Amino acid sequence: MIRGKIRGRWLTAAAALTSVTLLAAGCSGASEGNEGPEDGGGSSASAEGAATERELVIWAGSQTPITANFNPYNPASVLHLANGGIYEPLFVYNKIADEPPTPMLGLESEWNADGTELTVTLREGVQWNDGEPFTADDVVYSFTNDTAKPPYLEDAVASDDATVVFSFDDPQFTNEFAILGSTLIVPEHVFAEHEKDKGEDVDGNALSGLVAWPNAEAPVGTGPYMVDTTSDAAYTAKANPTYWGGEPKVASLRYIGIDSNQSAEDLLTTGQIDWATMFVPQPDRITSSGVYGYWNTPKDPTVLYTCANADRGCEGEQTDVAVRQALNLAVDRGAIDEKAFVGLAETVSPTYALLGRDDKWIAEGMPAEAAQTADAAAAASVLEDAGYTKDADGFYGKDGAAIELTLASPDGWTDYNNAAKLIEEQAREAGLKVVATTISEAEYGDQRFSGKFELLVGGVVGTSIADPYQIYRDWFTGDFTQDVGTQLGSGEWNFSRYDDPEVNEAVAKAGQTNDEAVKKEAYAVVQEHLVEDVPFIPLVVNATQTFYNTKDYAGWPTEENPYAFPPAWENPSSGLVLGKVGGTGQ
Amino acid sequence: MTFYLRRLAFYAITLWAAISLNFLIPRMLPGDPFTILLAKLQRSGGVTPSVENSIRLLLGAVEDQTLWEQYVHYWGNLVRGDLGVSVTQFPTPVTELIAGALPWTIGLVGTATVISFVLGIGLGAFAGWKRGTWVDSLIPSTTMMQSLPYFWVALLLIFVFSVTLGWFPIIGAYDVFEFNGPEWSWAFVGSVLYHAFLPALTIVISSVGGWLLGMRNMMVATLSEDYITTAEAKGLRPRRIFMTYATRNAAMPSLAGFGVSLGFVVAGSLVMEQVFTYPGVGKLMIQAVRNNDYALMQGVFLVITVAVLAALFIMDLIYGFIDPRTRSNNG
Repeated sequence: MIRGKIRGRWLTAAAALTSVTLLAAGCSGASEGNEGPEDGGGSSASAEGAATERELVIWAGSQTPITANFNPYNPASVLHLANGGIYEPLFVYNKIADEPPTPMLGLESEWNADGTELTVTLREGVQWNDGEPFTADDVVYSFTNDTAKPPYLEDAVASDDATVVFSFDDPQFTNEFAILGSTLIVPEHVFAEHEKDKGEDVDGNALSGLVAWPNAEAPVGTGPYMVDTTSDAAYTAKANPTYWGGEPKVASLRYIGIDSNQSAEDLLTTGQIDWATMFVPQPDRITSSGVYGYWNTPKDPTVLYTCANADRGCEGEQTDVAVRQALNLAVDRGAIDEKAFVGLAETVSPTYALLGRDDKWIAEGMPAEAAQTADAAAAASVLEDAGYTKDADGFYGKDGAAIELTLASPDGWTDYNNAAKLIEEQAREAGLKVVATTISEAEYGDQRFSGKFELLVGGVVGTSIADPYQIYRDWFTGDFTQDVGTQLGSGEWNFSRYDDPEVNEAVAKAGQTNDEAVKKEAYAVVQEHLVEDVPFIPLVVNATQTFYNTKDYAGWPTEENPYAFPPAWENPSSGLVLGKVGGTGQ
Repeated sequence: MTFYLRRLAFYAITLWAAISLNFLIPRMLPGDPFTILLAKLQRSGGVTPSVENSIRLLLGAVEDQTLWEQYVHYWGNLVRGDLGVSVTQFPTPVTELIAGALPWTIGLVGTATVISFVLGIGLGAFAGWKRGTWVDSLIPSTTMMQSLPYFWVALLLIFVFSVTLGWFPIIGAYDVFEFNGPEWSWAFVGSVLYHAFLPALTIVISSVGGWLLGMRNMMVATLSEDYITTAEAKGLRPRRIFMTYATRNAAMPSLAGFGVSLGFVVAGSLVMEQVFTYPGVGKLMIQAVRNNDYALMQGVFLVITVAVLAALFIMDLIYGFIDPRTRSNNG
């Protein structure tokens, strides 16, 4: 969602025309004294600071009109507050640090030795906000109802009031995050009544089941806030007095809808929003007022997708590994970060491990960081070794035909468009003809999923836990792709159609174990192939910029106290943050 | 009478063609709502199979029907006044979304269009009357304002009046930080007027120049007509010549243009609504096109098409009435 927000805006181009200068004198905000990192104890979600009546205004990326929908099973239009603020998971994983998850409705979890059984101990004494007690049956229901049941789950059983045992047919270590960290727990006594709800799907056909239910009236959850009012411009929430972590210190929240990034930036400069995560080319303009704290948490790599595998139907010169290697050497990542991503992006690792968090997974001998400068000479020698020759125009080719690659990016995603232009120029330096074009978002989606492209600027979803496994499996193995012309299916992100038996085998092996040494060995094989075969050409790790009001509120996740991934739209860690934020008493 | 019947038949056929195109065009767009939605969700974290399953349920199974069956289904729904359900705003019916947006659009864009028409015609008539004097300098300055990119004017006004001076709000049709939704109170009405000022101003600034220039030129042409000379020779008061003889005749072509503009009012003002986060139809259209939200797209286009055709039809009737020349083709 936020991606469209950040770059789908053709208005951001216009933003460059207005120079918003802050009149306020620049003194950086004295941040409140936060307590140290959590030890994972029972009090982890308790609020900090003083109670405050000041309404906390949040922009989580919603655009107007807002439709009241707090059903976590409706991914298309569920509002941000529902995922974390109303409905909570068992644990909240910290996306930016290698540390144990924060216990929410779960307290402890334990795998059996072969990974086919996961036992979770639940928090006791928790109440739904309608006064009903939260039980192990609610957890079982949240995993076994028709809408939510994951295919890999064999069974979930409440072995006693505070224990749930999940069982699987084969080792499911790799789904730990999906089970514990991203499945929201819903009340059986409310949701079971709506399983037969009737609605209409988009074509006007009958639709029944939980997805048809908007859950717009007083949603019942365990989270720190309860819905108060809704309208098509904003919705408000009030503190849940019976919250298990203690009543939140901020009495009320207001989530507003904003249609353009420029408006959100203006509202920040004038101090009208308290928490927002969005792309701001010059964050100093906002932080110089001293009201806001600012934290950039890059997580998602930006890459060039290449349709790499001729055996699965890819067409174009990029199916030759030498061409991909040459292009990889020809890009000047430093310049791309500086000019296309205004210097806010981070260095990417060609192993797709998130630097700083996943360092331990980078195998010996692998380059931790991608080269930040272009090496045209090396690119040329790779091409010459592969039998390419330079033509009269200075472009490499074979049999008299110069290599020509089309590099597309979605129209209006300005940072992608600029990166593509830069790569076009950088490739020319190295004798590679790359033509940058823009396409509509719809065409972009279509090309990625069908494989009918040569090069695309695109994103890789960073993993939610300190382990690159999910990227290796979902983005680079043969089981997670289709032949060109067939749309990728459920959970398949291997746009490059990369399919290497050694990689497939190593990833499968890593998925069967929780043994770090075995995993490292497997990852070494994967990384060696990814670095050598470059199915994607890594560029940068994209910025995620969060601004939060430190003048009136305390308890935010900050660089000094990084207890959670900070974005206002993040599901479900925003709920953890909401439970902890309090007033500064000023 | 045949004139009116001919016009009526013409509009009926146009309406049928427009509605059919409205059905076809969205279906010829590349991509499908599923992949677009999936790509968006992908941005905010992992997409689990159960989430994908939910999306598939919501989006229905389009492939099962032939295009013809869909077309018949579409007409059936249309006749019943059912425009379907929006994907992006699930489960709100499209009719409800449009009904929510129309009053704001008509209120703001409509008022602004009327203001800029009246202002443009008035100033244009005056400039034509006083041609060759200092008043002529109005023309280059207003046409320049019109040639400025609209979003730039809007952003500039926001920067100066909302951000730097803090006189006006930055977003919304009313104070979204204060009111929990529309309500009937003087405070709310005041808030609506206060929030409408800047958006209306940008529309007036960017459209008044066109009316002014057209009117001024027509006025100059009209003033050289023989009947004006006759009127002057008869010794009529200049005021009477200005109002009754010159302005009334010179305004005729502008009036036709005004009719079309009024029809397009319901399309909203895409950029204004985006820049000011103002509720309106234009924004629904942008969202629908971005997300391949067919139902919403068709609903919005339908409303716009019908409104424009209705405006043209009414203008036709009025024109046939006030200007008999348009009724016969043997003149």
